[in-house]
Amino acid sequence: MIVTWRIGLRIALTMVVAVVLQVSFFSYLTLFGTTPNIIPLVAVSLGLLGGAMVGAICGFALGFVLDSTLFATLGVSSLILLAVGYLAGRYREGTEISNTLMPPLLIGALTMAASAGFSAIQLMLGVETQVSLLILREIFVQGLLAFLLAIPFYPLIRRVLRPAIVDDVVAGRRMRTPISAAAKGRKRRSRRRVPRMRRATGMS
Amino acid sequence: MYRKQVRRRRAVLVILVVLALVLISTTFSESKSGPLHTVQQGVASVFAPLEEGATRALKPARDLVNWVSETFNARGENSELKTDVQKLRSRLARAQSAVGENQQLKKLLNLDRGGALADYKPMTARVIGRPPTVWYSTVTIDAGSGDGVAVNDPVINGDGLIGRVTDLTHWTSNVTLITDPESAVSGRVLPNGPDGVVQPEAGDPGTMLLDFIDKNEPIHEGQIVQTAGWSNGTISSAFPPGIPIGEVRDTTIGQQETYQHIRINPFADMRDLDYVQVATNGPKRPGVGG
Repeated sequence: MIVTWRIGLRIALTMVVAVVLQVSFFSYLTLFGTTPNIIPLVAVSLGLLGGAMVGAICGFALGFVLDSTLFATLGVSSLILLAVGYLAGRYREGTEISNTLMPPLLIGALTMAASAGFSAIQLMLGVETQVSLLILREIFVQGLLAFLLAIPFYPLIRRVLRPAIVDDVVAGRRMRTPISAAAKGRKRRSRRRVPRMRRATGMS
Repeated sequence: MYRKQVRRRRAVLVILVVLALVLISTTFSESKSGPLHTVQQGVASVFAPLEEGATRALKPARDLVNWVSETFNARGENSELKTDVQKLRSRLARAQSAVGENQQLKKLLNLDRGGALADYKPMTARVIGRPPTVWYSTVTIDAGSGDGVAVNDPVINGDGLIGRVTDLTHWTSNVTLITDPESAVSGRVLPNGPDGVVQPEAGDPGTMLLDFIDKNEPIHEGQIVQTAGWSNGTISSAFPPGIPIGEVRDTTIGQQETYQHIRINPFADMRDLDYVQVATNGPKRPGVGG
């Protein structure tokens, strides 16, 4: 990803919208007994689109804003989200993503890892009461919901950051190569030629 | 070139991890008025209007999604509710006779002060933010120090106790719910005690545990648990006595244990909070800051 200041602004805006949507919309929903979490989805998506460094930095920033907004212990979400953002970025740098189902699957799995990691840190920081086994079900369902939500959200984030994504820029350029341009020209010319021929031969 | 990139990437990762760990340890060690808390309050203040606007604007969409989800669950709940109604009818009859008796006794004792929070000034607030975690530990509400809210003010809704205010900005407050893993509320089993400590079962907002009740105390399903408002003159519970918390679901007694294992169904549903009431300007409780 080529990160110019305009792209940086788009990324920042994406993160702000994600946090506001999460806190004010998704956290109120109860689907299959748990609340959907789009914050790891956004961190992983940014990692998959921008690479490890973008994923880690965006994950850290997302976590900081989320913890600040919710008066939670600063640093906990940052640590988890920077890890999942970085892992997603490393995966993207090392593997060609050719299957369209791969990003949602990865988002689902890393959301599950993020939820489990967050619960583990909370436990380490001190939970003085019994922990229900329901928590495991919630972690699993959160991953499943993230997979489903990634199907519309990942392409949306990709669209927002499209000008900066190297693959898309290269693909765009490839479409405008001299050969394809000439082919386009020929097509246009041939389209124009038909009526002329018709005129000349008197075809209706 | 590639090696340089790898080195830079690793350096950024290490710096961010260290920064996150520093943030965690500093947040724990510094006081509420420390620089990090101030930054946190600043960010929360900036986001508060956005959250409030989004909460209001997205309510219809939220209700629609929840309606669809609830419709799926409604079938199973229907049969459960039918049996509940039968139980509740008989309990209502008993309760109505008890209410009449109670009013007469209160008049006799001159204690009718209009509920547990009669000495407080209620402030209605809208829930504008919830965390996405599985712990059900906090919510953000749209009333802050500018509305007279103070740290440790009790928060309730129509069903019962919700939690208490733990952080403040001018416009918003952070409420730590009674389902937070670190929460503990002194509770009393009605009608005559005993007193114990109500703690959550972390991760399950529909279950709470009443601890430190002697195994010889007779506790039965359906008994109401309310705040005990415990105080010894120097320190006291943050909650005044008499706020309903929940009802006893079941009890188990281990052979080697001193205390009973009592599970409670909380009255308030922490997953479905839209409006709450903050009890402000109450009498000073010893040892409770605010």
